[in-house]
Amino acid sequence: MMLVVLWACLTAGVGWAQTLESSRRTNGLAVHACFEPAREVLQRSSAVILQGSKKIAYGTVFSADGLIATKASEIDGAEGLRVTVGSKTYDSPELLGVDLAWDVALLRVPASGLEPVNLVESDVDLPRGTWVVANGATTRIRRRVQVGIVSASAREIPAAGGVVLGVTLDEKRDRWVVTKVHEGSGAELAGLRAGDRIVAVGEAKMKDREALDERLAKLRVGDELKLVVERAGERLDLQVRVSGRADLFGEEKTRNDEMSGRFSERRSGFPRIIQHDILANAAGMGGPLLGIDGRCHGMNIARANRSETFAIPAGELRAVIDRLKPAAGP
Amino acid sequence: MMFSFTAISSVLFAVLIPAMALGEVDRPYINDKQVPEDRHDLEVIQKHLTEALAGSRRATVCIDLGEGSGSGVVVSADGLILTAAHVTGGVGRELTVIFEDGKKVKAESLGLVADSDCAMARITEGGEWPHVELDREDSFRLGDWVYSLGHSGGFDAARGVVVRLGRVVRLASDSLQSDCSLIGGDSGGPLFDLRGRLIGIHSRVGERIQENMHVPLREFLEHWDEMSQGEFIGEGPFAKRPEKGKGFLGVGTVARDEGGLEVERIGRESPAEKAGLKAGDVLLKMDGVDLTTKEQFQELLKEKAPDDRVRFDFLRSGRSETLTLRLGER
Repeated sequence: MMLVVLWACLTAGVGWAQTLESSRRTNGLAVHACFEPAREVLQRSSAVILQGSKKIAYGTVFSADGLIATKASEIDGAEGLRVTVGSKTYDSPELLGVDLAWDVALLRVPASGLEPVNLVESDVDLPRGTWVVANGATTRIRRRVQVGIVSASAREIPAAGGVVLGVTLDEKRDRWVVTKVHEGSGAELAGLRAGDRIVAVGEAKMKDREALDERLAKLRVGDELKLVVERAGERLDLQVRVSGRADLFGEEKTRNDEMSGRFSERRSGFPRIIQHDILANAAGMGGPLLGIDGRCHGMNIARANRSETFAIPAGELRAVIDRLKPAAGP
Repeated sequence: MMFSFTAISSVLFAVLIPAMALGEVDRPYINDKQVPEDRHDLEVIQKHLTEALAGSRRATVCIDLGEGSGSGVVVSADGLILTAAHVTGGVGRELTVIFEDGKKVKAESLGLVADSDCAMARITEGGEWPHVELDREDSFRLGDWVYSLGHSGGFDAARGVVVRLGRVVRLASDSLQSDCSLIGGDSGGPLFDLRGRLIGIHSRVGERIQENMHVPLREFLEHWDEMSQGEFIGEGPFAKRPEKGKGFLGVGTVARDEGGLEVERIGRESPAEKAGLKAGDVLLKMDGVDLTTKEQFQELLKEKAPDDRVRFDFLRSGRSETLTLRLGER
């Protein structure tokens, strides 16, 4: 083999080249074959979230009776959702709840006998260089893998540009009057309206805009902030969930961003993530992050840029699902 | 014809056998398999990677250029760094180098090869620096498992150095490609074999995310001495040779009757200011040539290019002093 190569380069002089066939590359089919045990777990315990016939996300199966988690912002406002697990497709899943901080939605489909993922108990982060497996391209009945390794230390990803209420304020002396409530913001959800006068934030009267910014700087995406507003002579207490600035208003793409792919719209403002080098597009999030033994170490939550994907670690994921899932019956 | 073929073959054998004996004593068996075949093979890759990683991470640095950043790797205890020519951009530039643990040290760029994207730098502070081993035998082959490190997008203490796994997917007489993904800020960072030996330096991203270009280490070895002596080699796309006449000093002078030029003004942040020249200093000689008139001084400077070193003999408060500085770019 080596002889042939040397022979070739001697005879060809300069300009020789050798190329590795695609099936033998890190994410080639022949390499993927080695990850069959993990693929079988994806086959049984990952879900494909469809809108009509278009795949918009993956999901992670959390109970035999049909609890499935996915990336909330990818299904937000989508009509006609369908969920495939294995080769069976369920129409109109029920939305049980959303965790804004983690961007996780919990769905229920009318199923029984599903096989939930085997979420690891350990709180120890997978070290850098550990193999991980996630959903790759999928057919109607067959899940495929994509593989990579843990790339960096688990950490918080602060919201790009900080957090915002989602209102435009007209500041006249010490009077703050809402002139605009932004669509999709926590302020809109909380029922804030143009013309409302903000009297207090949290328990305190804000001295100035700087004081408000300082108060906001302490919050994370999804945190609640109490606003006391005056509307038509009445005082109202409103709980407003803050949003990431970039999530609400979009962000300028950097040169790196423009170099490739479709990244997740919501890709910052996570309390803690695992970073790995499996690259899927925005519609490839929501599925489980598995080890080579098929155990689940987290859930993919954002394609962050050209070469980074984030996943929610197992411990935090368990807590999120426990909060979202309906209380057990009496 | 037949005879010559046999002759060449036996020469090849004679060359090949000692080369194999040298470079391949500790070649991981996994590199000689077409693809990993089972979980054990995958674990072997992971074990090599995680064992080699700690040492590679300690020696991989972020090169802070003021505007933007790149990566590099320390290859000797006294602080020699290999990086990319498009990262340092020139010879003799001041750089800040940041290790993964946050330690910041001063460095200076040495020589570079403009057409193949090789560059060297050296830490200018005293110390014993963590460094990696080189694959001097050029022993890697197509399909070998490799890993890339880099301070993607700049230094991030919470994240640390980012690692990605891949294989050598294309080899040519003058280039090396892997399917490790790369992103801005990784440029100049190291590519390692599974033993943690340096085999290449990240040069540029490919059109496809999973085909990225590295400069093979042999390109560095070929020009090692010239580069370490600060030579600018080649005319190429990766660095622009400093142009004569574009050298910038940043002083305003007036000729004295008794000879020499008195410094009237010093440009802010100019090379003259950074080197410590002051208004009132009297420049007597530049590179040993007596300075007589402003015109003559300008003619001398016109022969200089950015990054050139220039020596001045001058008087300060009546005392003779000398100083060598590096010109900036106009």
